[in-house]
Amino acid sequence: MAILRVIHLQIIAILLCGLNCAQGQKQAAPEYQVKAVFLFNFAQFVEWPPSAFSETNDIIIGVLGENPFGNFLGETVRGEEVNGHPLKVQHYAKIEEIKACHILFINLTEALEIKHAITNLKPKHTLTVSDVDGFTAQGGMIRFFNEDKKTRMRINLPATKDAELKISSKLLRLAEIVSSKKQQ
Amino acid sequence: MNSFYTRPFKPTCLVLFLTVQMFALVAIPVFGQKSNDSTTLKLKKLSIEELLNVEVTSVSMRPEKLSEVASAIQVISGEDIHRSGVTRLPEAFRLVSNLQMEQVNSHDWAITARGFNGLPSTGGILANKLLVMVDGRSVYNPLFGGVFWDVQNVMLEDLDRLEVVSGPGSTLWGANAVNGVINVVSKSAKETQGLVATTSSGSFLQNITQARYGFHIDSSLFIRVYGQRFDQRSTVLENGKNGKDAWSMNQGGFRLDYYASKKNTLTFQGDLYDGASNDSTAHANTNGQNLLAHFVRKISDRSNLSIKAYYDRTWRKTPSSATPFAYQLNTYDIDIQHRFPIKQNHSVLWGVAYRFQKDQTTAALYPPQKNMPLYSGFIQDEIAVVPEVIKFTVGSKFLNNVFTGFEFQPSARFAWTPSKSNTWWAAVSRAVRIPTRFDSDVTLTSKFNSEKVLAYEAGYRVRPVEELSLSFSTFYNKYSSLRSIDTAAGTTQGIVVANSQRAESWGFEFSGNYQATRWWHLRGGFTYFDKNISPTSPKVLPLSGPFEGVDPKNIFMFQSVMDLKEHWQLDLTGRYVDALRGVPPGYPIVPSYFTFDARIAWNFNSLEFSCVGQNLWADQHTEVGLSRIPRTIYGKVTWRF
Repeated sequence: MAILRVIHLQIIAILLCGLNCAQGQKQAAPEYQVKAVFLFNFAQFVEWPPSAFSETNDIIIGVLGENPFGNFLGETVRGEEVNGHPLKVQHYAKIEEIKACHILFINLTEALEIKHAITNLKPKHTLTVSDVDGFTAQGGMIRFFNEDKKTRMRINLPATKDAELKISSKLLRLAEIVSSKKQQ
Repeated sequence: MNSFYTRPFKPTCLVLFLTVQMFALVAIPVFGQKSNDSTTLKLKKLSIEELLNVEVTSVSMRPEKLSEVASAIQVISGEDIHRSGVTRLPEAFRLVSNLQMEQVNSHDWAITARGFNGLPSTGGILANKLLVMVDGRSVYNPLFGGVFWDVQNVMLEDLDRLEVVSGPGSTLWGANAVNGVINVVSKSAKETQGLVATTSSGSFLQNITQARYGFHIDSSLFIRVYGQRFDQRSTVLENGKNGKDAWSMNQGGFRLDYYASKKNTLTFQGDLYDGASNDSTAHANTNGQNLLAHFVRKISDRSNLSIKAYYDRTWRKTPSSATPFAYQLNTYDIDIQHRFPIKQNHSVLWGVAYRFQKDQTTAALYPPQKNMPLYSGFIQDEIAVVPEVIKFTVGSKFLNNVFTGFEFQPSARFAWTPSKSNTWWAAVSRAVRIPTRFDSDVTLTSKFNSEKVLAYEAGYRVRPVEELSLSFSTFYNKYSSLRSIDTAAGTTQGIVVANSQRAESWGFEFSGNYQATRWWHLRGGFTYFDKNISPTSPKVLPLSGPFEGVDPKNIFMFQSVMDLKEHWQLDLTGRYVDALRGVPPGYPIVPSYFTFDARIAWNFNSLEFSCVGQNLWADQHTEVGLSRIPRTIYGKVTWRF
């Protein structure tokens, strides 16, 4: 009986897939839907120095490495602007491609790759974000992690200050703060 | 486990897990059915705090715990408290619409749920049917069953939330939870890392200065320490004279959280305080210390174990008063709770506790020193009759106390959740208020029994759209053996504290939360309350009724929290409270009042400057008793690093 039921459910699942799979392939896991909205929120809680907009007036949210957001990030920022800066999404395969970027989500897993990305990032005022372990210790600025099934943030304050980024106290209050280089 | 609605297991987890397994078999994306657009819109409307609370494994996008609870619970976040501009813990209860809160003078408050704020000659501080816990430490006293609110101070910056249940919570919580339970929950040391320093100064609030520093030894051991000092000025009396009730307090403390493993966590925390307060005739000193240890072991998703132990000492003295009064209370408490499942649809929670309290007083209580051991146990079964749709919870508390011996407090709760945005609930509970020293030991001949209540409640929670949540509850309570003061011919005192009154009370509570835009949210609530107290013996003195409660009929509150452009915040809270009813002749009449508070703040990097006006509507107003609460304005600087 139990086996029959599983098969039955599988058939339903396949039928559902038939209707939805075309777009379904590009859909993000809910975890990344939430993270995409966080990236969008960061654009409003972070202040860049004027020189960050010398290349372009847009606020560019970049994704380095494999794209975990599907088309969700693009839809989240579509038509949005912050203080007169329209939001745009860019995808990068290599760190060297990046000319102007305000928020960079780094989706790399190898510690060496991450180190390489952070040290070779050309724009000076980029908020770096990732969800890999030890990201803030490597010099990254905001790391997502999960606790009790919810998203949490750790912010590396010295690194954001080095990049001349001002992070709203509201965001800081909701995050874990790494405030000295020792603690990283 | 200090909040019964944050239980770790939710049937959704299992269902979700099975769903994921099933979909994984055919290798298609799990969440493919929902259109991206609507999810984007919904998520984008959430404030950043709400976004942090979205369970990423389900994206349910609702504060799911609250909507599943079969009780009239209201939860106020630390952020809303921060934004209201209140300066001390008791003031924060103004934000909770199912509480009745009256400021007596500069340092005393009368706080109760569902009525029974009693009126002794000095003002309404004899509320005795509320259980109040600060991080799991019970702070109501066995002297008169109320709380010394002047010494209940927490650093509001580190406060996570206030959970307020109106209605009996006695099955889970204990002996004084007759009309309600307040849980004050502070953030963990892990959530309060770094330095925060604030200082405020103003007209009624003279000064409050606080500092907290949170740090960690490694990734599993987090510590914070804090210290604060405040000075509060005097209220004004009816005749325009200075109320001479200025007070000040120093307090410090720590919290340590050790995440020994994924399953085991250990918390130590403690506070010490020392204060000086005045009233019109006397100068009072207060002093106290507490230390708490709490171990939690997560055995599985559906099972956990909690062991908590604490020590608390509180002392006060009014040396220069006409009736000198000194009181010391020592409390030792150990509490063990265990939750485990039986089959798929039962979740059993049981616990045992032992509390030993010992007091000493110069008040005319016999004996002047008393040992008060309290043994208690409870068992509760939560039965998922139809998983996720119909839930039935039954249980009882059993306790043995020094005043009346054995007592039991059963309850039955039922919740029907026809869809994720709707919950109907109903409950019947029996609760007792075990006697206090005041009831049993003031008159020599008294044989005071427990007060009993049989409470019937029902409610409805709904979330018609993602941005709006509403809660409605209604109740009918029947009290028996209610306290009275009877004439007693032939005794030296001529009176005796007895149980010769009964009462019934009824009313409803309505509250709502509305996220109007991503930068503006509104909260509000309305409570209607009425009661009838009647004597059951001709010996009952006429003052006995008002002594148990002079309560307003209607209470209304609202809060508006706005994030404006360029780092500005603008916040408003307002409240209306009806006149106190049943005030006997010769006592000050307290008319209805409306007043509001406003806060404007500007954030610049790690600094926050704010200006707060409190009780702005009128020069001064009376909430209970003789003192008038003045309009006040203060400025505050906060530095977070």
